[in-house]
Amino acid sequence: MANNIVINASHLTLSYGDTEIIKDAAFSVKQGEFVFITGPSGSGKSTLLKSLYGQIKPTAGKLVVGGLDMRTINSNKLQELRTHLGIVFQDYKLINEWTVAKNVVLPLIIAGYSMDVQETQAKRLLKHVKLSDKYGAYPLELSGGEQQRVGVARAMSKNPFLMLADEPTGNLDEYSSNVIWDLMENACGQLKTTVLVVTHRIPSVFSIPYRHFIIENKGVYEVH
Amino acid sequence: MKFIKDHLTFIFPMMAILLGIEFFLVFDRTTSSYEEGLREGYSMFIVADKELNLAEFQKLNPHISKSTPVTKDELAQEISQGISKSSSEKILQALPYFYNIKFDTYLHTSVLDSIKTSLETDERIKKVETFGNSYSASYTLFSFIKFALKAFVIFMSLVSLFLVVKQMEVWNYAHRERMQVMEIFGAPLMLRSGVLFKVATIDAVISTILTTTIFVMLKHKWAEESHLEILKQMQDLLFRPFDFFILLMTSLMIVIVSVYIVVFSTRESSQ
Repeated sequence: MANNIVINASHLTLSYGDTEIIKDAAFSVKQGEFVFITGPSGSGKSTLLKSLYGQIKPTAGKLVVGGLDMRTINSNKLQELRTHLGIVFQDYKLINEWTVAKNVVLPLIIAGYSMDVQETQAKRLLKHVKLSDKYGAYPLELSGGEQQRVGVARAMSKNPFLMLADEPTGNLDEYSSNVIWDLMENACGQLKTTVLVVTHRIPSVFSIPYRHFIIENKGVYEVH
Repeated sequence: MKFIKDHLTFIFPMMAILLGIEFFLVFDRTTSSYEEGLREGYSMFIVADKELNLAEFQKLNPHISKSTPVTKDELAQEISQGISKSSSEKILQALPYFYNIKFDTYLHTSVLDSIKTSLETDERIKKVETFGNSYSASYTLFSFIKFALKAFVIFMSLVSLFLVVKQMEVWNYAHRERMQVMEIFGAPLMLRSGVLFKVATIDAVISTILTTTIFVMLKHKWAEESHLEILKQMQDLLFRPFDFFILLMTSLMIVIVSVYIVVFSTRESSQ
């Protein structure tokens, strides 16, 4: 990653069919930065986030994530890239048939870590998100806030170089939202993970420095 | 309850396919032996000026597998009863050569006609006698029964295959979210489809064992207790151990293809 740049977009265009969502956008994010992306509903926030983990391919311009060109990336490289990302979803996307512990270590299962490592890491992460007592529980037995804490723990389980979050507190009350923001601050401040969060609203209290991009009229602009 | 229903809705159509295949194998074996009987029972009678051996007959048509000369002595004796020995020898010398020829396989009547024509064109052969009418009737009836059963087996297999595909759609719905989440986190194809393979493989093995059990019972219990002579005669042909491997391989192939259809359709819909 040249000059510690984790994400680099230039003249980036994202479309659904013939409809352009993002047009000619340019921005870059360095390693260890915390970035908020805001914008009105339907402005293309989630589309931009999806393009960062390869769910949508750019239709024009350039988008480089972790040194890989997302326009030309092949499926094997994309698979490999995704194992180094941590992704948090608004609707949690936990696997309901799996226990909380197994959900947390999904990235480790994919990477082929041993059961011992998985167990140790699951205990450590669940302690970190204050859910130690939910080790053997199933996601549907948890509240929304607890499920999202499991989602954050899963995103952190393999120490990703980039954590992407799509409206992580969109479905949560204020208390649960603050817990999630604390965890993300911690991931960036202490673990030096780059965090990029798409959200409607930036939390009023945030203790670490961050950058703020806004999506308006298909463009991505930094707010200073 | 739902768990059992999910499995049975896959096992039953899979069993229908396997039963169809096994019926086909059994029918093929039993008809092969019947075909062999028909083939053995059919021959052409040849009258020739000169002595001919099998290789010479095979030059005329490669389907000819056996030629048996009909001894002229007995024939001459019958004709020359009551006449002098010298006359009898003359008759013997004047008689042509007679042959019975047989074929390597059970042939269609049109092929037999063309063989007859090709034999008659040879100047050494004076006459070819066939027994067309009875043979033709047997062949037509036999071909019709074979066709009807094959058509039934194919139809049953197709309907069952549609049911398997339907069950795949249910699985697709049930596993879609899990597979999509795993794909987002970079799981390779084999890992995210592992559960499907496991479930479907278990169901395929169960279907194979149940189908095998039915035919083993048919062979060793029902065939003996039925007092039906035809079943007893065919008992050995009803099931062979190698059939188990054919059924197992077929069911596993169906599982592999079906699971890949589910996995790839999930993948496309997530993009």
